[in-house]
Amino acid sequence: MSSVQRASDMRRHEKAWGWVFVAPITLQILLFCVAPVAIAIVAAFTNWNVIKGTYDFVGIDNFVEFLTDKKFWVASANTLFMLLPIPFYLVLAVLFAIGCHRNTPGSKLFRVLFFLPYISSIVALVVMWKWLFNYEYGLINQTLRAWFGIQGPNWLGDPAWIKFTIVLMIVWKMIGISSIYILAALKNIPGTYYEAARLDGAGPIRSFFSITLPLLTPVLFFLVVIGLIGSLQTFVEVQLFTTDGGRNYSAATITYYVWQKAFVSNEIGLASSVAFFFGLVILAVTLFQFRLSRRWVYEGE
Amino acid sequence: MRTRTAAVALIAAATLVLAGCSGGGSGGQPGDHKITFMGWGSPQEVSVFKDLIKQYEKKYPGVKVDYISVPAADFPTKLQTMIASKKVPDVFYLTPENVMPYAKSGIIADLSDYVSDNEIFDEKNVWPNAINMYRYDGTDPGKGSIYGLPKDIGPFALAYNKDLFAKAGVTPPAAGTPWTWDEFVAAAKKLTSGSGNDKVYGSAPYSLESAVWSNGADWLNADHTKVTVTDQKFIEALQWVADLGLKEGVVPSSEEESSLGSFQRFLDGKIGMMGIGPWSQGQFWDEAKFDWDIMPWPVSPTTHTQATWYGGIGFAVGKNSKNLKDAENLAAFLAFNEDAQKTNMEKGQAIPNLIDMAKGDYLKMDKAPANKEEFLRIVEDYGRRATQTYTYNSEWFTLFNTDVASVMLGEKSAADYVKQVQPEMQELLDKGIAEQGK
Repeated sequence: MSSVQRASDMRRHEKAWGWVFVAPITLQILLFCVAPVAIAIVAAFTNWNVIKGTYDFVGIDNFVEFLTDKKFWVASANTLFMLLPIPFYLVLAVLFAIGCHRNTPGSKLFRVLFFLPYISSIVALVVMWKWLFNYEYGLINQTLRAWFGIQGPNWLGDPAWIKFTIVLMIVWKMIGISSIYILAALKNIPGTYYEAARLDGAGPIRSFFSITLPLLTPVLFFLVVIGLIGSLQTFVEVQLFTTDGGRNYSAATITYYVWQKAFVSNEIGLASSVAFFFGLVILAVTLFQFRLSRRWVYEGE
Repeated sequence: MRTRTAAVALIAAATLVLAGCSGGGSGGQPGDHKITFMGWGSPQEVSVFKDLIKQYEKKYPGVKVDYISVPAADFPTKLQTMIASKKVPDVFYLTPENVMPYAKSGIIADLSDYVSDNEIFDEKNVWPNAINMYRYDGTDPGKGSIYGLPKDIGPFALAYNKDLFAKAGVTPPAAGTPWTWDEFVAAAKKLTSGSGNDKVYGSAPYSLESAVWSNGADWLNADHTKVTVTDQKFIEALQWVADLGLKEGVVPSSEEESSLGSFQRFLDGKIGMMGIGPWSQGQFWDEAKFDWDIMPWPVSPTTHTQATWYGGIGFAVGKNSKNLKDAENLAAFLAFNEDAQKTNMEKGQAIPNLIDMAKGDYLKMDKAPANKEEFLRIVEDYGRRATQTYTYNSEWFTLFNTDVASVMLGEKSAADYVKQVQPEMQELLDKGIAEQGK
């Protein structure tokens, strides 16, 4: 056999083994990700209702129905509100990561403490927060009463405050994981840049804004993208903190609206159409962010 | 050689992937009839059910029951999935409001013939209202064919703390002579005392149903087609309930209610009167450190009629069950078996479904409340089924409740609120009726 022949034989065998290794995960993605999404997209154009047993094509009726539903727009406004925590926890995470990087006393302990919420069961976190923010007996209101003599608001019941409480919880939850990413990026910045800056007479603040921040933009971009995608889909907090989306639907998000339509009203077709529409919105936002990234994300040497 | 290892690897990979899918199946002899029973409940209820199932299997050898207990919040989702995959359980929990949609879609079986001719119970010995909750004649719920057997019927009665009454010098009304609303408020004022951690409230937030119905109003009209919350009598009742907190100060505010529920406050001896159902008896026997009893519901001074609600869960049988007879027998066994009824009664979970046991053994039970007859009176006499269980869906009712807190907090008057909310409620009701017609 010639060496050319042997080489292409080996190439073919390698390819075959490549397929074998990729097969299980491809199958899993096809069966459990692609297929359900395809089914949902088809269902978005039907009046699929399991209890009534209907499954007929209704064209864009579903889309008209939810776009004219007041609850949908209230939920949309609430969902936009859930984007608020992102800048706050990113700023706090950067500050915290810098503190860890410089080994400020206590940073190792706080690193663990801040990471705990992210890995804890969301149900346990909500139960804890329900007690913290309890109107009469919660720690927060008791402290306000004892130190400042004022009665704290009804954090969980008042429509004006419930969104704020959920946002607060998201900020608290995300500081830890974000700072881990940022810390890793910080450690990757070569010390030579700082040395050069110091030689040129730059103070710490100047080096932060001219060296650290620009070099952190890739990881910040990553965190903004996934933070946006995650925050827009807030659901568990709403379901666990409130019944029926809060007074006047004040806490309900789009994902909550989808869940209600699918599992409380049994309207799976309508729920699929909302989910499909919302998926497209998130996709558009993400693509827009990628476009925008060319302006502000440092691409490397 | 290489193809063989590749084939083995592929099969192993495929198995790993398919492990993501779920399967089913349980033990039993071949030739046994297998039926599934799905429901929810507290750990005590679940263990009581497991005992009952063992008794059923002993009585009917050759039938194996697969009991699936699901948390209550996940039950509707799981049931929906099973219906969609055509694996409807043979016996499953059914709420009265689901009788109409499920019966219309052919999901649950008509049990009328079984009820009139079976070996487990006598139709005449069961509370009529308990069975009526699961009737549907094709147009209206509450009459016609039977689609479920009652697990229990739960009358909502007004309990009171005898010790607090004695301390405040209040005499409770005798059975059969209810207070009017004014007398109720006067008593509640006497019972309300203290402040801060020692605060005692005369009453828990009052049942809106009792107030509205007693005043001669309702959320819907008689044939459930019009939303009647703008009726003057409805507004009066709603405002009266709100004023108990806003003007008279005898009930906890919404914020206090969300901080610590009235149920717990009552158990702590900090509330004079509160609505309860028979399901709470067990907990009261264990935890209440005071004497308590039940009084007749107060009446509106204009009509002097008593009213309150009763509710319940039933057992439905899947229409396409492969072992229909066994499933029907299981449903009846769980609903009416005498030992089961006695256990429920003695554990303080429910009043018996069987009339002779309720009027006999239950009344003779030597445990609080002394005025057990009130429960029975509600079931037989002045109790009513909740209005929202009569319609195809209750979205109009959910809308009403979504901001009724604004009335209770004094942000809006009852009149303004109902005027604002009635058109939207009517829209949702009309949509539901249209769905029903399809």
